[in-house]
Amino acid sequence: MKQGLKNTSLIVAAAVAAMGMVSTSALAQDGKSITTVVKISGIPWFDRMETGVKKFAEANPNMDITQVGPSTADSAQQLQIINDLVAKGTDALAVVPMDPAIIEGILKRAMDRGTIVVTHEADNQKNTMVDVEAFDNAFYGASMNERLAECMGGEGKWTTFVGSLGSRTHMQWVGAGEENAAKYPGMELVDPNNESFDDANLTYDKAKELLRKHPDLKGFQSSAGNDVLGIGRAIEEAGLAGKVCLVGTGLPNPSAAYLDSGAITAIGFWDPQKAGMAMNSVAKTLLAGGEIVDGMDLGVEGYEKVSVKPGPGDGLLVFGNGMVLADKDTYKDYLF
Amino acid sequence: MRKLDGNFVLLVTLIVVLLTIGGFLSGGTYLSLFNLQSMANQVPELGLLAIGVMLAMCAGNGGIDLSGIAMANMAGVASGLFALQFFPVDEAPVAFTITFILGCAVVGLIGGTLNGLIISRLGITPILCTLGTQMFFTGVTVVLSDGRAVRIGAPGPLYELGNGYVFGIPWSFMLFIVTATILGVVLRYTPYGVKLMMTGANQKAAKFSGFARARIVTVTYALSGLLAGLSGAIIAARNVNVKWDYGTTYLLIAILIAVMAGVKPDGGYGRVINVVLSAIILQLMSSLLNFIGLSNFVRDLAWGALLLFFLFVNRFALVEHFADLLSSRRSPHAPKP
Repeated sequence: MKQGLKNTSLIVAAAVAAMGMVSTSALAQDGKSITTVVKISGIPWFDRMETGVKKFAEANPNMDITQVGPSTADSAQQLQIINDLVAKGTDALAVVPMDPAIIEGILKRAMDRGTIVVTHEADNQKNTMVDVEAFDNAFYGASMNERLAECMGGEGKWTTFVGSLGSRTHMQWVGAGEENAAKYPGMELVDPNNESFDDANLTYDKAKELLRKHPDLKGFQSSAGNDVLGIGRAIEEAGLAGKVCLVGTGLPNPSAAYLDSGAITAIGFWDPQKAGMAMNSVAKTLLAGGEIVDGMDLGVEGYEKVSVKPGPGDGLLVFGNGMVLADKDTYKDYLF
Repeated sequence: MRKLDGNFVLLVTLIVVLLTIGGFLSGGTYLSLFNLQSMANQVPELGLLAIGVMLAMCAGNGGIDLSGIAMANMAGVASGLFALQFFPVDEAPVAFTITFILGCAVVGLIGGTLNGLIISRLGITPILCTLGTQMFFTGVTVVLSDGRAVRIGAPGPLYELGNGYVFGIPWSFMLFIVTATILGVVLRYTPYGVKLMMTGANQKAAKFSGFARARIVTVTYALSGLLAGLSGAIIAARNVNVKWDYGTTYLLIAILIAVMAGVKPDGGYGRVINVVLSAIILQLMSSLLNFIGLSNFVRDLAWGALLLFFLFVNRFALVEHFADLLSSRRSPHAPKP
């Protein structure tokens, strides 16, 4: 019995020691820490952002720079992560909010506690110091729609997809798209604002339903990163590649096959890698006590000369110039 | 003497172990007042839902409440919109807060009663009934709020409830403990509590003993709804905003908490105190993983492993066996009763 107890305590001691080693290596750096919190981890968009965060970490070896995110798309999970990071004493947070409204409270408490808060894709976030946007959202939505209208020849039924109704940027893009489409009287919007939850399979099912419901559907404008994949698959399987137009946010690599087959007309995007770096760059400047001013260079491609406006709260809105619209012929320049 | 509650012992041990490991790994930050408060502040919304699931499970006949978080969101949105109509947040914060919280409770009660009536009167399996009402409640919430977040604002007392402290303990956590204590007493000492457990343990026997089964089941689901409503009020108080798709992952985590607490999935047994401890453990683990900076996919893995571990331990009553073994070793000549 005694022998057994001794053994167990040895094992426990070893386990604790092992975990201790893990933690000391994680907390060893005495530089400031910046943690990027994304909407959901493990999807191509935020994997690409992580490469930017890693690049930034390599460029700043004395700082502790990491990216985390919930495994499921749930604002409550993201809220909990932010809560714990604030309690842990992280110096700066770079957040891509799942739902800006839900995390207002914790961001305020974080700032009260002296944490630097930078956000992205949330130009309505009140409790933030700086919100970084890759471009003006209305311009982006209108540009995508213009490309769609060009493909549709300015007439026919079209519909829109958003990540979720609460995703503000997505709603702005399709909103600007609708405004742009008003220029073309022949374009008729049907069943707008379908929610995709950034899930390609779900989007595929919904797109199939829509194509069945409206056999004469001519165009899709989509918003979340995975939407084009789901809709593209539905279009291709229905044998409509090249006949139905699809313009949406997407990444070049995953979309390549559909772009080649014509199932996707064009993809619009900004490089999440650069956005991640830009957020971290802003956070670093703020940590050093610097200021963000109009026309400044964040040291990141597409953010060399940012325009700064007052945000909805006390914070600032920073716009870069990072929009890309790529089709079959041009996507190869941006493979990631 | 009462039989040793193995699950209780296991849960308390786990809490101590987690706090020790956490304090050790983080060099003390984990045990700092700020983090303890931050963690305590996160427990109630999920804990209340888990107690609701426990009640439903105790009622037996495959009892479960899948509509918890949907009901909490509906309560927050519906009551929020209602209270905003009558009391401008900034002018009458106290009246607003009281109306809002009462409203949440009422919506929860109504939703829960609906569940209870469908299950007991129409004889529909709880899992199907609450799955249906879950979607229904979510739908109602989306329609009421147009799919947008409803800003409850930050009127003094309500914000205080979600973010304030009394003697260093978060208000919401106090509310949670008080609610749990009342429920624990009710379940243990009132005829309703005894009958609930007996009905859950053996439906037939309860029927032939002349228990008003339908009423017991209805009351139980109504209570579960009430708890969800309170949870909705706390979510609103904490986040200032309520939204229909908040906490979609809570559904499964609430069930996990209940099972970890040793609630019998077939009905007839469950202790509120264990659910409270179990909710605290889940929070401790979750925060610990965030502190270490492990991927959130590891968290899912940990939850799964934990669930299986507890099912196994409770199924074979391992802690009790071990305790028996120990005591029989210590006093080999103890007279058998």
